[in-house]
Amino acid sequence: MNDNYHIFSDGRVERHNDTVRLITEDDEKKYLPIENAEALFLHGQIDFNTRLISFLDDHGVAMHVFGWNDYYAGSVMPERGQTSGQTVVKQVRAYDDPDHRLDIATEFVSGSIHNMRANVAYYDNRGFDFAEALGDLGHRREEISSVDAIDEAMGVEAGARRAYYATFDEILPDGFVFNGRKYNPPNNKVNSLISFGNSLVYASVVSAIRATALDPTISYLHEPGERRYSLALDIADLFKPLLTDRVLFRLVNRGQLSADDFDTELNSCLLTESGRKTYSKEFEKTLEETIEHPNLNRKVSYQYLLRLEAYKLKKHLLTGEAYEPFERWW
Amino acid sequence: MSEADPVELLLRSARDEAVDVSFHVTGVMMQYYVVCERELWFESRDIEIDRDNPSVVRGTQVDNTAYEDKRRNLSIDGRISPDLLDDGRVVEVKPSSSLIEPARLQLLYYLWYLDRVAGVEKNGVLAHPREKKRETVELTDEAVQRVEDAIRGIFDVVKSDSPPTAEERPFCESCAYYDFCWSC
Repeated sequence: MNDNYHIFSDGRVERHNDTVRLITEDDEKKYLPIENAEALFLHGQIDFNTRLISFLDDHGVAMHVFGWNDYYAGSVMPERGQTSGQTVVKQVRAYDDPDHRLDIATEFVSGSIHNMRANVAYYDNRGFDFAEALGDLGHRREEISSVDAIDEAMGVEAGARRAYYATFDEILPDGFVFNGRKYNPPNNKVNSLISFGNSLVYASVVSAIRATALDPTISYLHEPGERRYSLALDIADLFKPLLTDRVLFRLVNRGQLSADDFDTELNSCLLTESGRKTYSKEFEKTLEETIEHPNLNRKVSYQYLLRLEAYKLKKHLLTGEAYEPFERWW
Repeated sequence: MSEADPVELLLRSARDEAVDVSFHVTGVMMQYYVVCERELWFESRDIEIDRDNPSVVRGTQVDNTAYEDKRRNLSIDGRISPDLLDDGRVVEVKPSSSLIEPARLQLLYYLWYLDRVAGVEKNGVLAHPREKKRETVELTDEAVQRVEDAIRGIFDVVKSDSPPTAEERPFCESCAYYDFCWSC
C-alpha cells in the first residue's frame, strides 16, 4: 500500500469506472489502480474535474500539484474522516507556551542533526575523512539542548546544515559541484536536485500529517504560516538526509544523471522532465524500502516512518508522553 | 465538580438534565474498558482509528453484512445505537468469540441503558455469525452491578488528563490504535 503516482506528461486525469485514467496529449491511455495509493503527484499540465476529486476523496487519495519549474503549488486533500478539535487545541497551546514550543522545536533540530550526521558517518566509513564535520555536528547537537529561543535553535540548525553540506563537494563525483545551498532558483545541478527532492519530501509529509487530525499550519520550529503547511516543514527536515540526499548521492554516484537532465541558464539550473522522472522514480523506490521497527515488531516502509512521525507528535501533544524525533537507528 | 456518582451523572446527562459536567458512555467504550483502558482513553479524545487496520476492516465488514435483513439499528439520542432483531431482542454481532467478555458487557450496557433511560425491558443475544453461535444475555442484578461498576471505572479513566501507560498485551497487534500507541 501507500503507492504514489507521478504524472509528468500533459493531458487529462479522470475517473474511469472504478479506477483513475490518464489520457496524454497524444491520446495514450494509462490506468492508475488507486486502491492502495496514497497520493498522485501532478508535475505536468493536467486537466481534471470534480468527479475525479470525489473519487479520490472516497479512496482517501491526495493530489499534490506542482507548477512552474516544478515548485510545489498545493494539494487537493481528501476530506478528513474525522476531525479532532481537541488535537488542534493542544497543538495551539503547545505553540503558545514558549517553553513547550522550544522543547518541540529543539527535538526537531536534534533529530535533524542526528540524521545529517548519520549520512556523514556513512561516507566517513567509506574512505572519506570527515572527522571534523562529525565533531562539528556532534557539538551542535549538544548545543541545541541549551538554546533558549527559537531563533537560536534555527541558528544551530543552519550551522549544522552548513557543516553537513560542506561534505557534499568531497563526496560528489566530478561534474557535480555544490558549493553551498542556493535556491530560488537553484544555481547548479546539485541544488536543483536538492530542491526537487525536498519538495517531494514536503508533499509526502503533507499526506502523512493528513492521516492524523493535526493542523498542518501550526508548527514549532518554523513560524506558522511561513509557508502554507509549516508543520510539514518541521517534520520534513528530519527526513531530508534519509530521502532527498541519499537519493541524490545514489543517482549521481551511479552516473544515472547526465548534463542532458538539466536546463542550465544564466542564473539557474533546473531539472528537465527526464531528470525529474529519474529522480522521482528512485525517490519512490526509496520510500518503499523497509526497516524493522523496534517497537512495532514488524517492518515498516520509509514512507510509513513519515506517518509514524505525525502519530508521535500527536501522541505527545495529547498525552504529554515524551516526543522523541525520528533518528535513523540503523 | 461535586462528588456525584458517575452512574447518577450519566443518567442525568442522558435525560438532558442540567449537570456541571455531562458524561456519556458509548457501547464501544464499554468494550474498551474491559480490553484496554489506554484504548478507552484514546477513544474518549476522538483519536481517529487506523481504518486500514485489517481487524477494523474485517469487523466493519461483518457488521455490515451479518443478519442485515433481520436487524435494524436503533439510535438513542445519537449516543448509543443498539441493533434490534425482528423479535425485539437487542443483538450484538461480533466477528469472533475471542473477545467475548467485552462484547457481553457492551450488550449488557445497552440493556441497562434501555431499562434505566428509556424504561423498556429487553433481552439480548450475542451472535458470532462466522462461528454460528448465539448466546442469550439477560440483565440480572449481578449484571446491573457489573455495568454500573464499569461506568464508574470508565469515568475515572476518561476524566484523567493522561492515559494509562502502554502495556504490551497479546491482542495489541490487532488493535486499531496499535501504531499510534507504539510509534514511540
